[in-house]
Amino acid sequence: MAANDALVIALPKGRILKEVMPLLHRAGIEPEAAFNADDARQLRFRTNDPRIDLVRVRSFDVATFVAFGAAHLGVAGNDVIMEFDYAELYAPLDLGIGRCRLSVAEPRELVANDDPSRWSHVRVATKYPGITKRHFARRGVQAECIKLNGAMELAPALGLCRRIVDLVSTGSTLKANGLVEVETILEVTSRLVVNRAALKTRPADVGGLIDRFRGALDAA
Amino acid sequence: MNEVSDNGVDPSAGLLPAGLRDVLPPRAEVEAQVTERLMAVFAGHGYRRIKPPLVEYEDTLLAGSGQALAGQMFRFMDTASHRMLGVRPDITLQAARIAATRLAHDPRPLRLCYAGQVLRTRGSQLRPERQFAQAGFELIGSAAPAADQEVAILAAEAVLALGVAGLSMDVTNPLLVPALCEGLGLDAAVAKAARLALDHKDAAALHDAVGPGKAADTLAALIDIGPAAQVFARLAKLDLPRAAAAMVAQLRALCDGLKLALPDLPVTLDLGEFRGLEYHSGVSFTLFARGVRGELGRGGRYMAGANEPATGCTLYLDSLMRALPASPPERRLFLPFGTPHVEARRWRSEGWSVVRGLEPVADATAEAKRLGCSHQLAGNQPRALA
Repeated sequence: MAANDALVIALPKGRILKEVMPLLHRAGIEPEAAFNADDARQLRFRTNDPRIDLVRVRSFDVATFVAFGAAHLGVAGNDVIMEFDYAELYAPLDLGIGRCRLSVAEPRELVANDDPSRWSHVRVATKYPGITKRHFARRGVQAECIKLNGAMELAPALGLCRRIVDLVSTGSTLKANGLVEVETILEVTSRLVVNRAALKTRPADVGGLIDRFRGALDAA
Repeated sequence: MNEVSDNGVDPSAGLLPAGLRDVLPPRAEVEAQVTERLMAVFAGHGYRRIKPPLVEYEDTLLAGSGQALAGQMFRFMDTASHRMLGVRPDITLQAARIAATRLAHDPRPLRLCYAGQVLRTRGSQLRPERQFAQAGFELIGSAAPAADQEVAILAAEAVLALGVAGLSMDVTNPLLVPALCEGLGLDAAVAKAARLALDHKDAAALHDAVGPGKAADTLAALIDIGPAAQVFARLAKLDLPRAAAAMVAQLRALCDGLKLALPDLPVTLDLGEFRGLEYHSGVSFTLFARGVRGELGRGGRYMAGANEPATGCTLYLDSLMRALPASPPERRLFLPFGTPHVEARRWRSEGWSVVRGLEPVADATAEAKRLGCSHQLAGNQPRALA
């Protein structure tokens, strides 16, 4: 089998990766030693199965790699899946890991004297302009999004905008910055994502791997 | 003003609008040859060529099934008639219009084929191009299962004739899930959410939409796609409502026909698929090639004109070009200045592309290379240049 015939699984760096590893282990996939070395420059890793390779990318990029067929499978949160809304991405399994929620938050003092039914426009700092615009559009409100890649909680305090849309898990970061969660847009978990063309042209290989992950989930 | 981009920098003269590009040699030649080879295969199956215009009245392009492509169409005002015109986003709609009007009295079934450029307002994720070439064929006026088979088999044979490796066909019926939801008694909002979830193969979203119960179990069985035989085996265990069962029987007839005609063609079945098949009204299929980004073509049942049953297929030249094996190097022969016309004619008649020198040069070999020729004459025979 040609080297480039291996299925590539894209995994997100950081927090979610720790939760993915036990699943991978139960699915019988063991990455080579370099995968666990934090300082490795290597980007593509082999596994105990010569037909499966791993790549480690930023969580937002997992969806893009898989949607364009650069990776065949991946692990991505439904926040990222919804944000891009790629037509070429399938999400056949809810892995039940990386639980959090995507919420609207605003300063505590704003909540008291604010009437959302009168809004025609809001300005929001977020990493998720797509979801945010669609969410507010459904209520007839135009959302002007300021795209930030982190430290969203700072934006209201520094006067960049009054509201943010961000991931919340415990809510302690919001609280520390004087913000209150006013609305949940989405409950987030990580999904196994699959490239559409890969599933259709290699149904046995890709379908087999989905089944292994399903088995790993059931065993958990 | 509008010659200057937003940040005040003059763009280069070579800049084209997003999604539009110049196709250069040798790709432009190869694409034209591929188009003609496809048209020859269609003609060999009795399909006759039509050539509709690039631009039509908006309302004729959008009539009937065309409505599904309304958001993809460039429109402008015709200063002569003061009516809105549209640039075709697809040629199938035009073939259907021709069949329903000028060829309304031709005997059925009508077999038409075409090749041409289409223009769309937006590119898609996998095809950022807004202008691209289509080649296709339409079989109009027959609802017979044999018509579905003819179209699917011809589509695969035409692509295989180009030498595409790793071809596979994905078969579906976009009306099956709605029929199933109706048969299971789901209300419209739930059915819509379920359909979207099945299209995304999103088990969690399907569960959220339908909740537990028999309906959920039946729909969940459609989420796993795969080789046709496996999916049919799984479907056989389900107790399907009558309308859905009839559709499954049609799909099975098509897959059986494909198996007989093209036993080596992998056929997969994906009953949840409907995006991109908006104007299809029955058995439909999509062509993929292993390792090639995007679809090579799509086809299936639709309604032409005043509810005339039709089926057909459109192949996308840009994806096909990505799936093709490398074409053999061009045969370009350099003839130095002063070579008689009769000799140039002789080499052309033997299939060479002949490039003639326009001025005497000291080093003919260097000149031939400079002009991108593959061969020069040596002792009155073409000799390959190193």
